[in-house]
Amino acid sequence: MEKKKRAEVGKEGLNSAPPTYREHMELNTIKDAFDRVAKKQKLSCSKTQEVIDEVGQEIEQAMAKMQSTDNGSGWDLKSVLLELKAKLNEMAPMNQLEVSQRELNVGLVKYAKILEKCFNPDISKAYRNVDSDVHIVNQIIASHFYRQGLFDLGDCFVSEANEPDATALKSPFLEMYGILEAMRSRNLEPALNWASKQSERLLQNGSSLELKLHQLQFVETLQKGSQNEALKYARTYLAPFASVHKVEIQKLMACLLWAGRLDQSPYAEFLSPTHWERLAEELTQQFCSLLGQSYESPLSVAIAAGIQGLPTLLKLASVMAAKQQEWQAMKQLPVPVDLGREFQFHSIFVCPVLREQGSDENPPMLMPCGHVLSKQSIVKLSKSSTRPFKCPYCPLEATVGQCRQLHF
Amino acid sequence: MDMASESPSSLANGDSSAASTPAAAAAASSSRMLQLAESLKLEHQFHRVPLEQFKKTIRSHHRYAEKEISAVLSGVADAADRPDAMSREDAADHLRSLVSRLQGLKRKLEEGSKTEKLQVQRCRARLDHLDSIDGDNLTEWNNTRLKRILVDYMLRMSYYDTAKNLAETSNIQDLVDIDIFLDAKKVIDSLQTKEVGPALAWCAENKSRLKKSKSKLEFQLRLQEFIELVRADNYLRAIQYARKYLAPWGATYMKELQRAMATLALRSNTECPTYKVLFEPMQWVYLVEQFKQEFCRLFGMTLEPLLNIYLQAGLSALKTPFCFEEGCTKEDPLSHEGFRKLAAPLPFSKQHHSKLVCYINKELMDTENPPLVLPNGYVYSTKALEEMAAKNDGKVTCPRTGETFNFSELVKAYIS
Ligand SMILES: [Zn+2]
Repeated sequence: MEKKKRAEVGKEGLNSAPPTYREHMELNTIKDAFDRVAKKQKLSCSKTQEVIDEVGQEIEQAMAKMQSTDNGSGWDLKSVLLELKAKLNEMAPMNQLEVSQRELNVGLVKYAKILEKCFNPDISKAYRNVDSDVHIVNQIIASHFYRQGLFDLGDCFVSEANEPDATALKSPFLEMYGILEAMRSRNLEPALNWASKQSERLLQNGSSLELKLHQLQFVETLQKGSQNEALKYARTYLAPFASVHKVEIQKLMACLLWAGRLDQSPYAEFLSPTHWERLAEELTQQFCSLLGQSYESPLSVAIAAGIQGLPTLLKLASVMAAKQQEWQAMKQLPVPVDLGREFQFHSIFVCPVLREQGSDENPPMLMPCGHVLSKQSIVKLSKSSTRPFKCPYCPLEATVGQCRQLHF
Repeated sequence: MDMASESPSSLANGDSSAASTPAAAAAASSSRMLQLAESLKLEHQFHRVPLEQFKKTIRSHHRYAEKEISAVLSGVADAADRPDAMSREDAADHLRSLVSRLQGLKRKLEEGSKTEKLQVQRCRARLDHLDSIDGDNLTEWNNTRLKRILVDYMLRMSYYDTAKNLAETSNIQDLVDIDIFLDAKKVIDSLQTKEVGPALAWCAENKSRLKKSKSKLEFQLRLQEFIELVRADNYLRAIQYARKYLAPWGATYMKELQRAMATLALRSNTECPTYKVLFEPMQWVYLVEQFKQEFCRLFGMTLEPLLNIYLQAGLSALKTPFCFEEGCTKEDPLSHEGFRKLAAPLPFSKQHHSKLVCYINKELMDTENPPLVLPNGYVYSTKALEEMAAKNDGKVTCPRTGETFNFSELVKAYIS
């Protein structure tokens, strides 16, 4: 009943918000089913205690009878015990236990079934049985821990998994986290040291990180109130950048007029803590880049892609369940697995006519009208190299010679 | 939008999720919700394992209560059936002992119900965790998910210290299943020292469920114990052992049974490969693997570590021929040696539509940010080229060939 009502509300609410993930996966149904289990568990517990108490009381009553009537009045042991036995039989404690247990079991079975229905009960159905190299996986994990700054954990893992060669990223990332840590306590010294050592490579990367660090240091010096020192700093460190970064340097030098009260100046923006955050981020980016590493942990990226892609792969695997061998052997997935744009690392051109991915042999070609087709489809459409043919997407005509190869 | 109607690009694929209208925004958010739900449906094990653990606890408490109460009942019945056999004092003592037995049971069940309560809490904590996602904490939730996957990996590979360390420092103890793996560890450790006792005890504990799943584990353990007796030249005991523990499996595993019995004649130094293999230390490694599988099955876990499953799916979805080219960006996991090796046996992904990423700013080139073609055939996004032209007096330089062109020389490309 409840479920029906909810579904109806969903249908009529055309203007209402789209369903949340909770509604998509019927989280409330799952929770309700579990609440019933929890309730039955409590009931079953108290029922068991109750049964034990009742049995105990009967026995104690029998004992009391044996004691109280000890002096005189006629009772015999046999009748007391038989009476006790009869009473316990009538009480049927084992049955009582079983009944409450059965109710709990019904709840448990229902809950398990709901879990099976609402979740995918076996996510390994799309798994290809390949011998995955444990060492490679372990190296990837160790690198992940170090690059996340989890050095103790990384060390613990490397020793427990016995992978002494997996520590390559430890010392460079120790250095990086040292620099970032210092920046958090407003100490730019290590960052500046690193940037000046890497000065040329940073410029090659098109990064003005070194200048930005000097700017920040200059503003810090100025804010502490020493105009002289700031001037000295500017002459030594900012001057070399003056020709390329005219506007920035001029603004910075104007700050000298406001030494010690920069916060009340037109340049108060220079003091914003967001500069520190942004610079820390840029430093991380440049540090990773110069190390030949990615900004995001590749393990995080690959797992996140797996979490997005697996539902499609599982559907595919269940369709192909009868063709296990084909599944294990295929060279290309038969359907696209759509990943978010954060996983789009390469330009992929799919010819709209052939529905095939472009390649070196079959590259994308630009027609004069602006439409792009693969070389093979253009050759097919044109029939001869000189005769004009019509673009399949617009009325304009083109010859093969007018088409140009594109590089994405 | 008007650009789309006047230009031939109206055929361009509509899956650009850059939401320019409220309707598009709603559609994008709706598809995100659906995608999130799909990815959460992969979390069966997350809920199933604590449930199985809870069921196991309940079953053992219930069995214990039944055993004790029925013992008390038969104690009463015994006394009632032969009252002449005991004095009044004896009878009173007897009843008193039954009462104290009941009290013992009660105390034990009270303890037990505390355990049950904790396990209920754990099941609920996981449902609540699933319920806790909102727009702001999704990144953090995903980080926790990766940590859970890593703890699962550590536990299955027997890296217990790392598992505990990671769970404690991330404060996710309730979201991972360390305790059941520590129980398994006892069995694994004993098998590694060639001792089958704990493993057999585990089989006995889960007898009915193992029987239902037609598990072979107990037979294999018994077989190994028999082989060890043969190895020790202890033939009499070996034969006795086989009669008692192997014979009952005869109907199911006749062939293997016969093969094992033949070792009595051939002894442990046999060179015949059929029998020699039975004496090899690898057999113990197989037993550990076999146990691990049964253990995972019993708790409703995948046989593979979750990490391997997700990693494989991810690499398959990410794998394109371009990943293996020289200029592959470092942000692509497949630019790294280790990932490439893992991806080697996997299929390439497939695309039905073009997806173009600007070489300069890595942004998607779609109707919002259409591709522009330089006279040399190289293509970059409008945004990146406009930015470059603004800085350089209307001139753009191809970052890959170094040629310089006027912005006016560029033409738009329409990718369907
Ligand atoms: Zn055209």
